[in-house]
This record gives sequence, C-alpha cells and structure tokens, in this order.
Amino acid sequence: MKHRWGMAIDLDRCTGCGACVVACSAENNIPVVGEDEAGKGRLMHWIRVNRYWEEENPGARATYLPVPCMQCQRAPCEIVCPVYATYHSEDGLNAMVYNRCIGTRYCANNCPYSVRVFNWYDHKWEKPLDEQLSPDISVRSRGVMEKCTFCVQRIRRVKDQAASEGRKIRDGEVQPACVQTCPPGALVFGDLEDPESAISRLFKDPRRFRIFEHLGTEPHVVYLKRRKGAGA
Amino acid sequence: MSGENLLARTDEAQLYRDLSRSNLVTTWKWFAGAGILSLVLLWGIGVFVYMMMTGMGVTGLNRPVFWGILIVNFVFWIGLSHSGTLISAILRLTHATWRAPILRAAEAMTAFSLMVGGLFPLIHLGRNWRFYYTIPYPNERGLWPNMRSPLMWDAVAINTYLIGSLTFLYVGMIPDLALLRDKSEGWRRKLYSILSLGFRGTHAEWRRYHRASTLFAILIIPVAVSVHSIVSWDFAMAKVPGWHSTIFAPYFVVGAIFSGIAGVVLVMAVLRRVFRLERVLTPLHFDNLGKLLCMMSLIWGYFYFTEFLTVWYNRNPEEWEVFSSYGKSFLPVFLLMIMCNFVIPFPMLCMKKVRRSIPAISFASFLVVVGMYCERILIVTASLARRNDPFIWHNYFPTWVELSITAASFAMFGLLYMIFSKLFPIMAISDIKERLFHTTERAFGGASVEAIALVEEGEEEGSE
Amino acid sequence: MSSFVLIGLFDGVEPAAKAGHALRALPLAAENITSISGVPLPDGSVTWDPRPIRFSRYVVVFWFVGALAGLALALATYLLYPLITAGKAIISVPPTLIITYEVAMLFALLATLILGAREMGLLRFRARKVHEPRIHDGKIAVCAVVEPGEQEIRARRAMKTAGALEIRVEEGEL
Repeated sequence: MKHRWGMAIDLDRCTGCGACVVACSAENNIPVVGEDEAGKGRLMHWIRVNRYWEEENPGARATYLPVPCMQCQRAPCEIVCPVYATYHSEDGLNAMVYNRCIGTRYCANNCPYSVRVFNWYDHKWEKPLDEQLSPDISVRSRGVMEKCTFCVQRIRRVKDQAASEGRKIRDGEVQPACVQTCPPGALVFGDLEDPESAISRLFKDPRRFRIFEHLGTEPHVVYLKRRKGAGA
Repeated sequence: MSGENLLARTDEAQLYRDLSRSNLVTTWKWFAGAGILSLVLLWGIGVFVYMMMTGMGVTGLNRPVFWGILIVNFVFWIGLSHSGTLISAILRLTHATWRAPILRAAEAMTAFSLMVGGLFPLIHLGRNWRFYYTIPYPNERGLWPNMRSPLMWDAVAINTYLIGSLTFLYVGMIPDLALLRDKSEGWRRKLYSILSLGFRGTHAEWRRYHRASTLFAILIIPVAVSVHSIVSWDFAMAKVPGWHSTIFAPYFVVGAIFSGIAGVVLVMAVLRRVFRLERVLTPLHFDNLGKLLCMMSLIWGYFYFTEFLTVWYNRNPEEWEVFSSYGKSFLPVFLLMIMCNFVIPFPMLCMKKVRRSIPAISFASFLVVVGMYCERILIVTASLARRNDPFIWHNYFPTWVELSITAASFAMFGLLYMIFSKLFPIMAISDIKERLFHTTERAFGGASVEAIALVEEGEEEGSE
Repeated sequence: MSSFVLIGLFDGVEPAAKAGHALRALPLAAENITSISGVPLPDGSVTWDPRPIRFSRYVVVFWFVGALAGLALALATYLLYPLITAGKAIISVPPTLIITYEVAMLFALLATLILGAREMGLLRFRARKVHEPRIHDGKIAVCAVVEPGEQEIRARRAMKTAGALEIRVEEGEL
C-alpha cells in the first residue's frame, strides 16, 4: 500500500494560538529549554508559529504562519548528510535516524525553512515530568539533529491496525498531534495517494501556495492563502 | 647590486651552520615559547573535552547560525595552507631563481596549517566520538558514507592534499636530511639515516630526484586548486542566500592564496629574526612576495566587487538581506575586512619601500590575515544569520569556548612549527646551495651582476 | 653483488669533470661511473646517466588506477547503500567525478613518491652503497666500478692526473 502524506494549513483559520506547538511537544518528547536558551534561538519545537507584523503602529496586525517540517520531495537536507542520518522514506517523508547522526548540522544549514533543531545539550526532565515521556519515541541525546516527523509513530500504529484488520486506511484516521489539537481546525492531514481524501481536495484549492516554492523543494505541506476582506 | 643578496659561497661548512642554526642550538627561549604554546594548546584541549561532554550549547551557536567560528577556523587554516605548496610548486616549475629560501618555510606551513585546519570539522561535530561514521569501510552498522554530501568531498580532498603536501615537504627535504645525516651524530644521525632513505647525491639519484620533484609540483597544483574549490562548495552547494554562488570556488581559491602568501611572509619574517637568517631571507624575497600579495589583493578586491555588484543591482531580496546586514549588525567585521584586505594593504604594497621593509610588509601581511579571517566570518555566519525566513533571524557571537579552541589552534600551529624547526632543516639547504652553485658574478661593463646558469632538463627524453 | 669501487675526491667541478671524462675514455661504461655531489650536476658535466628516467609514465598509469579506485569508492556508496535521497538518482555523476579525481591525484602523488624512490635506488635497503660525506663541504666524489688489476691502475692514474685529493677503494655498489 503506497502512501504520500501531506498537510494543508489554512491561514484563514489559524489564530496563532500555539496549541499545535504544545501538542507536538507533548507527543514527541520535546524538551522545554527555558527562557534563556529560547532567547539564544535554541527552541526545540518541531513546529513553530511564525509571527509577521503587517504595517507599523497603530493598526499593526500580526499574521501567523505555522511552520512544521515541509517533508520536501526534493529535500535539500537529505543529500548533504554525510552519513545518511536523514533519508527519504517510502511514504515520501524525510526520516531522521538519530543513532546515525554525528551532528555536522549541515542538514539544518541547508533547510530553507530552518525547521531542523539541534540538541545543544542533553536535556533533563525533572520529576515527575519524566513520567510523561512517550515510550513510542526515543529521547534524543546531545549532538543530534531532530525535526518534525509528521508523527510517524501514529502513522505506523494506524498502518499496523489497518493491516491487521485487512482494510485500507480511512481518510482522517491518521492525525499528527498538531492536526488533532488545532482548535479552529486549520491543519488538515492525509494521504495524497487517495484522490478522494480531504487533503487531496485541498491540494487543488485555488488558494493553495507553498513557501519558498521557487526553491524547487516540492514540500508536502501547503498553505491556503488568507482571503482579505470583511472579517478577515 | 649583489653583495647583500649573496651568501659567501666559499665556505659550505659555514653555510650549513648558518642555515641550520635552528637545529644546532636550543635556547631557553625556545623552551619558554614551546611551554607557553603547550599550555594554550592544553587549555584548548581541555575546553574541547568540556564542550564534548556538555554539548555544543556551550558555544554561541543557535538556530539559524549552526556553523560558527569553528568552521571559520577550518576555512581559515585550509586557506592558509594554500600558498605554501602552491607557491613553492609554481616557483619550482617556473624556475624562479629566488625561490630557494622560501620553499621549506612555505611547504611546512602548508602541512601544519592543514593538520590544524583538518581538525575543525571533527571538533565542530555534535557527536565527535562518532566521527568514524564518515569513514568508508565495511562495518557491522551497515553504514556507508554518502558520497553526494559535499562534506565527503571535503574529507577525500583534504586527505589527498594533506598526504600530498606532507610527501611534497618530505621529498623536498630528502637531500637536506642526507646532509644532516652526514653532519650529525647520536640519535639525530639515526633519525636522519632512516628518513633520508640512504640518499647520497649520486648523479643518477639527483636526476631522478629532480624529475620526481617536478612531477610533485605539477600534481600538487591542481590538487591545491581543487581542495579550496571543494571547501567553497561546502557553502556554495547549500540553499543559503549568500552561499549559493557560482563565483565561490574561484573566489575561495584566490582568497586562500591571498591569505596564504600573507602567512608565508609572516612566517618568514619570524624565522628570519629568530634564527638570524638575515643573509638568506633578504628584502628581495619579501619584495617579490609583496608583489604577489599586492596582485592578490587587487584580484580579491575585484572578486568581491563583482560578487557585491551583482547582488546590489539585482536586489534579489534574499541575497540582499544578507549583504545589507554587512552594513548593520556585521558592520564592524565588514569594515575591518575591507580595510585590512584592500584599502590599507593595497596602496602600501604598491610601494617598493614597504615591500622591502620587513616590519612594514609584515604589518601589511598581518592585516591581510586579519582581513581574510573577517571575510570568512562574514561568509559563514552572516549568511546563516539572515536565512530565508526573517522570523528566525538571529545574530551570533562566539563564546569563550570557541575563542579558546581558536587560540589553541594558533598555539598548535606554532608548536608544530617550533618542533619542526628543531628536528628538520628549516631552510632548503640543498636548494640554496644549488642556486649558489649555478650563480657567478659577471662583469657587465663597469658593474658586476649575477649570472645564473639554468640547467634545462628534459632533452634526454628522445634518447630512450 | 658488491663490486670493487674506486672513489676519487675532487675539489670542485673542473677537476671532477676532467676525471669523469678521462675514466669514460679508458674506456669505462657510463653506468659504471658516477659522481657524488652535494648539488645536482648537469648531465654530461662530470658523468653521464645512461639509463632513461622511466617512472613518470608509471605515475600516469597509477593516476588511472587511482581513478578506478575513486570510481569504486563512489560507486560503492550507491551500490552498497542504494538510498534514494531527495529524489536524486542513486548514481549521481558530479560527486562521482569529484571523488574519482581526488583519489586519482592521491594515487599519482603516492606513485611519484614510491616509484621515484625506487628508481632513485633508495629502496635498496640491504645494498652496501658507497658514499663520501665530504661532498657537503664542497667536494665532489667521482666513483667508478673497476676490475682489480690493470683497469684499476689505469683508473687511478686518470684520477690522479685530473687532480684527485684522495683516492680510495671500497667494496660496494654505486
């Protein structure tokens, strides 16, 4: 069964609340680095909500742009890794193998979206926070890169279940943590190989655009443009 | 005209004593200097171990500046390594008659700066202890390196260049090692006996030796050019505005030769003073290198202007943000670079007086070394700090950890050079002797000028 | 196979050249005469080098051997670890060219070192080679393989006439 996972982010719906960031952190054992480190530009979040200011004060308005890993079809990060720590999976995802990573950080430099994060230190979870670590996900040591996986552990679980029940994966059955959490439902996830899926329809939406499309990375994350007008 | 430029060619024993003073006497100053450098190096090693045990967080790196001055050091040292072998190879091939006293110092500089520079890609790894993952050998991990990564090109190229320049240095030294073997005793005699491989100086040996060194010179030049091109491709292959540029390879090669010549001048000035080589390393040599340096400064300025102009006119927003940051956060570095690489040294080096004054040309060379260091800071960090997405822009400043390791790299270079000068002939004695042997004074009207017999080798090819 | 070598020490090129030319006229074969000097001497000035210098062509051969090795190294990656990354072909040409070139140059450099040393005769570690350390003080030694007896006497005379400072005999090789 062939899959090609994709995500659409409707900027009309996104309120910039940041629930996706929190859900992702809880799901993927992402360490909280604290204010100092965050100020140094060392947040570990796999998805971030970019905030751009339009116009000057007064009348300044913020636009929000959630940025997970784009899971590029032609991923610049993959070719530059000297040890194949990051590679292209059969589902079209950029997989990351932590055990192979030696930390050249070249992949992060070559990612135009800067969605890759590096473990600057070994992170600690104070008691009792260590109890909440997900057993499905390894806790990354210092010196390795990491990034959004489209919650590959959830994809695996659904795949296994569907296989054991001898059926196809239903549309909407796989939901990464960010998609599941998004209160206004701005994030949609699904299989692009299935022409009937919601995501396949959204990929044909006239509002669709990709960020840095001119770089030719062919991301699997698309955005739906904001409509300007009353109430927007 | 001559006089000061010529050694007394009558007494070869005296010549030997003069040229290998570094080998013969070891003063307390040497021990003091080596001691200080060792301390700095040890400190740097300690800091490196601390960084390795704690994590790269102790550096000033962040997202998006994932590469900082550790990579700057890498480019800097590899760049410095350039002129050594390259100058010496070009001078050999073109039969530049003034080359002899420069060769050894330049070749040794190449070898040592490569050794230092080659460490930095390993130092900056997040998991240094797994560096062997990049070595292609059959292993139980089922892991083989990805030859599509420019880092692997780098590893292969630097390996070739390091081995090549070490052999170039070694082969150039064989006749001198034979000389030292015959002149020394004790453990030194044993060491030189092994290293000189029983070279005696028979007619057949000399002819083949010459052919081998010519071949080395021919082979090492394309390697040197390729190595710095590949170093530039580490950057130019990436989708980073300010890095992704076709001009990078030639630009890096030029920059490398530029900083390399400056490095050679500095090393020569130090050697001249420390080992009292005033009669060998004459203002003539500094003058000639000064001319080269002047020309490279001009070429560097031209390249920089070309690169800047295209971006400035085009105003491609991504690239323009990088270049305009040179006028904002990175202004001090930018100004330092322009002043030290072009504005000050170029007019200085146009003047014969400056080129012939050793303090003046050393100062100009020092500026160039500083300027080229700044250039690499701008290339590596400024481009990353102004990546495509303005939301994550972040500036970078190195911490004490990176600065300590940088200081240690200079100490390591100095220490390697000091040890080398104690064990090996720091001047190419045989080449100097050969040059003197081929030179006579010739009356030219009322003046007396040097006449040099050029021995053309190669006609015998047909006789096979 | 050590032989009987006559070594004459001369005070500079001119007398050494005279001796070399006289020995050649004895006649002695060119491969049986050589000079030992601290600086290289042009061919024919004192002695002749009858053997052509061959190793450069083998360096070219080794360049190609290195190119093959480099090609194998690059291809090994694609064959042993056939991962499609970033939609790029498994065997991609430009990186292969770069690796091939660098390994070829490495082989050529090492071949120059090893073959050069071999042809210089430096790898004959067990041979007892004649030597004269005083060449470093500006002297030139002219050595000739002679047969004891009449040839030796004539060779000695030739060296003496040319102005040898010292003539001695050693068992060894040139």
